[in-house]
Amino acid sequence: MAANLSNAAAIVGAAESNDIGYPSERGLKVTSLQHHIEAIKNVTDLTGIPISDIQGVFSAGWSSQLAEHLGLKPRYIDTTSVGGCSFQILVHHALSAIHAGIIDVALVSHGQAGWSYRGAGGGGGRNVPGEIDPATEMTMSYGVFGAPSNYAHAMRRHMHSFGTTPEDFAHVSVVTRQWAMLNPRAVMFSKETNPYGGPITVEDVMNARLIAWPLTLYHCCLVTDHGGAVLVARPEIARSLRTNPVWIAGAGESMGHSNMLEMEDFTATSASRSSATAYEMAGLGPDDMEMAMIYDSFTITAAITAEMLGLAPRGQGHTLWKDGHAAPGGRLPINTNGGGLSFNHSGMYGMQLLVEAYRQLSGTAEDGVNGIEGKQTNARTCVVNGTGGTLSTTGTLVLTAD
Amino acid sequence: MAYDKPIPPHGQHTQPFWDGAKEGKLMLPRCTSCNRVHWYPRLICPFCHSTDIEWIEGSGEGRIHTYAVQHRAFGGWAKEVPYVTAYIDLAEGDRMLTVLRGVDPNDPESIKIGARVTVEFEAADEETHIPFWRVAEG
Repeated sequence: MAANLSNAAAIVGAAESNDIGYPSERGLKVTSLQHHIEAIKNVTDLTGIPISDIQGVFSAGWSSQLAEHLGLKPRYIDTTSVGGCSFQILVHHALSAIHAGIIDVALVSHGQAGWSYRGAGGGGGRNVPGEIDPATEMTMSYGVFGAPSNYAHAMRRHMHSFGTTPEDFAHVSVVTRQWAMLNPRAVMFSKETNPYGGPITVEDVMNARLIAWPLTLYHCCLVTDHGGAVLVARPEIARSLRTNPVWIAGAGESMGHSNMLEMEDFTATSASRSSATAYEMAGLGPDDMEMAMIYDSFTITAAITAEMLGLAPRGQGHTLWKDGHAAPGGRLPINTNGGGLSFNHSGMYGMQLLVEAYRQLSGTAEDGVNGIEGKQTNARTCVVNGTGGTLSTTGTLVLTAD
Repeated sequence: MAYDKPIPPHGQHTQPFWDGAKEGKLMLPRCTSCNRVHWYPRLICPFCHSTDIEWIEGSGEGRIHTYAVQHRAFGGWAKEVPYVTAYIDLAEGDRMLTVLRGVDPNDPESIKIGARVTVEFEAADEETHIPFWRVAEG
């Protein structure tokens, strides 16, 4: 029987890099490394934990480079990179390392110039030259390019299985935009910040350019630059800081597949398992959650995940948005920053979920950079779920405030 | 006109598939221990973890599991948009990705999940004949 890691550590601070969104459109050239370093500087300033106190470095592929850049000699290095949910999974790993007594303070960091350096490659192929894995060999001929072209198949299957419609899912986009309009750092905050910003309707979503039917452009997340970092520390340290702790009451991770070819049920993800683990660890269930941060790479991702997390019945995930429960003023605020759909999405969005969950639960409601007011809820509990790959991997955290 | 879309290199363990494709046969890997067909080809059976895997000639029959219509593409596929991609449930079990033929991409609602499909092959080059699936019923 596994040990119960519940509350063995807390997230003690969260911050973003300075220039997120589309910095290159403002004449700035911000590298992915710079996003990392700015966020790390900001979160250590916020908490008062010196960089030199960081004992474990956790990132999606960057850990040795970051540790070197910071002049750290870490005793725990984890560079798990399994898509956008990597950061939920890295927090789980940091919790485990702290519980095991190996480290006291962990850095989880993200930086990705997803817009400014788009098309520059660096995705990191798994095959060495001259070698091909059989999943790629047997799928590369068929004109499927990147996430939207794959995720469209999941929405179509959901429509078949549950009688849902593209309009049902469009509500996710409409409501998420309402949250973005409350967040000045959101790319789609207003018509002034972006020509496509400000309020949108279901009709706007349906009439937007088709990307991969049934997905239109507004069913799809943004592609922007973003960096963020959180610090995770054991309870004695967490209680001694000037920032409020947000407790990691539960954590879990799982996966269904790597290539979408192996997705058994196109309407379900491994979040059913990762959340079951997290809820059990926390001794809490979906009915105890007062807000949720759900990876919304696409409207269908958010809707399916709400079902997997037990926040809505099977086939009914979209109703949380359609019926206004997830909206500002609703009973279960979801994606209060404006989501990957309207706030920012750098490619791997999981860190943005963590930063916002910390902001809302910690009571600071500041972004840690400019001190912009951003408190949207009085929630004391939040379920955070990242989804990576093509609905492939998931990490779930159940977070609570004192 | 020369085939201008991605042509897969042949893997170290998949030559029987490409040899069969040249003859218009859909060759599938089957575990001799549990008798189940799996797709894509494995070094180890994903169901029972036996490494005794043989190649059998499949029926070339299947059904549409789900599909999407691609409106944004790159390379040789870019000039084909819109086109329909689909996951096919093979009659022998497990699932294959394809670009679906015999359907109207401008009327996506007319495509039926569960519809019968049959395989056909297109010669991308001398050594590589790629399977595509076509709807067999109206």
